[in-house]
Amino acid sequence: MAGSGDGSLRSEGDMLLTVRHLSVEFPVGRKRLLYALSGVSFDVAEGETLGIVGESGCGKSTLAKSIIRLNQIKSGSIEYQGRNLATLRGDELRRVRPDLQMIFQDPISSLNPRRKIRNVIAEGLAIWGDRQGVWARNHVEELMVSVGIDPKLGDRRAHQFSGGQCQRIGIARALLLDPKVLICDEPVSALDVSVQAQVLNLLEDMKIRYGLTLLFISHDLCVVRNIADRIMVMYLGKVCEIGDAKAIFEHPKHPYTRALLAAIPEPAPTVEVAEGDISGELPSPIDPPQGCRFNTRCPRATEICFIEEPLITQLGDQDHYLACHNPVIS
Amino acid sequence: MPDNSHSVKQLSVQNLSVRFPTVRGTVCAVNGVSFELSQGASLGIVGESGSGKSVTARTLMNLLPRSAEVSGGVEFEGADVRRLARERVKHFWGVKMAMIFQDPMTSLNPVKKCGTQISETLRYHLKRDRKTARHEGIDLLNLVGIPEPKKRFDQYPHELSGGLRQRVVIAMALACDPSLLIADEPTTAVDVTVQKHLLDLLDRLRKERGMSLILITHDLGVARRRCDEIAVMYAGRIVERGKPEDLFEDPRHPYTDALLRSMPRLNTPIHSRLEAIGGPPPELINPTEQCSFAPRCTLAQADCLQSVPQLSGVIGMREIACFYPANTKRGRRALAKNRARGKTAAGLQMSARRHTSG
Repeated sequence: MAGSGDGSLRSEGDMLLTVRHLSVEFPVGRKRLLYALSGVSFDVAEGETLGIVGESGCGKSTLAKSIIRLNQIKSGSIEYQGRNLATLRGDELRRVRPDLQMIFQDPISSLNPRRKIRNVIAEGLAIWGDRQGVWARNHVEELMVSVGIDPKLGDRRAHQFSGGQCQRIGIARALLLDPKVLICDEPVSALDVSVQAQVLNLLEDMKIRYGLTLLFISHDLCVVRNIADRIMVMYLGKVCEIGDAKAIFEHPKHPYTRALLAAIPEPAPTVEVAEGDISGELPSPIDPPQGCRFNTRCPRATEICFIEEPLITQLGDQDHYLACHNPVIS
Repeated sequence: MPDNSHSVKQLSVQNLSVRFPTVRGTVCAVNGVSFELSQGASLGIVGESGSGKSVTARTLMNLLPRSAEVSGGVEFEGADVRRLARERVKHFWGVKMAMIFQDPMTSLNPVKKCGTQISETLRYHLKRDRKTARHEGIDLLNLVGIPEPKKRFDQYPHELSGGLRQRVVIAMALACDPSLLIADEPTTAVDVTVQKHLLDLLDRLRKERGMSLILITHDLGVARRRCDEIAVMYAGRIVERGKPEDLFEDPRHPYTDALLRSMPRLNTPIHSRLEAIGGPPPELINPTEQCSFAPRCTLAQADCLQSVPQLSGVIGMREIACFYPANTKRGRRALAKNRARGKTAAGLQMSARRHTSG
């Protein structure tokens, strides 16, 4: 698993976002590098929701941040509407930024505690400067209503709201500049079950209402199952398996995907519970294993897995792409 | 699972209430919670934030701040725990009863080696000498499944991964061989694969050592597989208690029912709309005398707003604190009445919810 190559890119159809061979490395001193993302390729069609799953440290959040250029990109390209986001600079980059917005895991700490939430939401308009006055005020209020926050509470500050309400405010802020792509980095992990349902419903509503394309990062497979059209499973900076959500959940082929599905408290019926007992720890991304990066923990690893890295290939003609030398064929 | 009628009662909590005076009024964190636990059994306490599950655990462990006003009785193996707390008995908490916490990084001291923190417990409570404590400490690390225990013993918490840290915390809690282990959200901070390992470990230890376990979690799925009995808490009260299979397959309290419906599941179709629980979260400061779930309940009737329903039913089988339990004739009638009226007695609009229990 943990394969390279751009075999996961779909051949037909127009894609809104195409990520090719994206690599991100961080220096960690003594000339060593942390390989956060290594050759990740995927694409997202307009109006689609891509769920990204994997354990902590697999590069999910780095991927999200790289797409909106919050960190340095080593190599690779991110194509968005004919432009390569990875190499855009200055004014060009600034102009494309409103199109890609993000919401974060901790709803309370992602809002400035000293500002009124009305101003927190409206900040994007202030930055752009071309949309001000009565129209702007109405637009902010309209957004607050659509995410379920009473506009009368606009003069309050973040600490006066509950976690669920803060996440709604975060969503309103992200939607203000009419984005095309909304990147959600663990948006419901910090919320209670009943509030989680409200926020997930809201995201679905907003997606339809504003025509959004979602990248939805979560470690909770049940949540991803509910919201995503396609799913990408990541491990240690690489893609393991990507494809139609139904295919991934009902016919998981990669040993790691199967392990994840077996480890959840109420395991999926398609896998054996024992498959969830993958041994050992996540290897260090500073010195990742040779060959397939999952080989240290994989129950199906053979000699080739330690020598050669599997390439991502399509399974038949289905929307199901896999990087494994020894997939589970049931 | 052990048969409650024959096993030895170990812990008995009677009408426990915990209040915190604050400038905005008295916070009623726990309101009359009663439960019993027999030797070797496991109880899951499930609830959302603010439901009082952690405060209940901290009361048992005598970890509440001084300002807390506690009433009710806690009896553990024949001893009055609240009296022990008043008398500041030393070798009880950590010896007979131990607790593990949600975030292993904050429950371990970052400037002390893991081994030192484990052997400290052994040296203080069991008066072991340095050498014996080291040996026993390494044995404990081995017991909780830490590879290379000798090496880990001399490492600092930051050198370990989240899963290993939580194992160290479990080893610390097990040091004095407690007969009751309270685990407060032990797996919330870790990944699913690690979560499975940790829960399997707790299961194994409980069976090997005949230890009782109170597992506090917000994840109903976790509680379902790992507990003999589950208590669902809402606003400081136990609203429903029963065997996991009964509770999950045939929930009676409207809150349990709503909670289960609001959870995304693997077997539902993609993009299916989740049934979120409407209405405001419970008021904990100076609550009114009514069922605390009534403002959000689709089954609420006039009498739900006038008095607090008490937990009743067959102990050990199923107990519910509700006047109109869901999935019963009475509940269905209440729901039909509210549907016809368009809103509940507490004023919750019914139209917002397309389909609910009944």
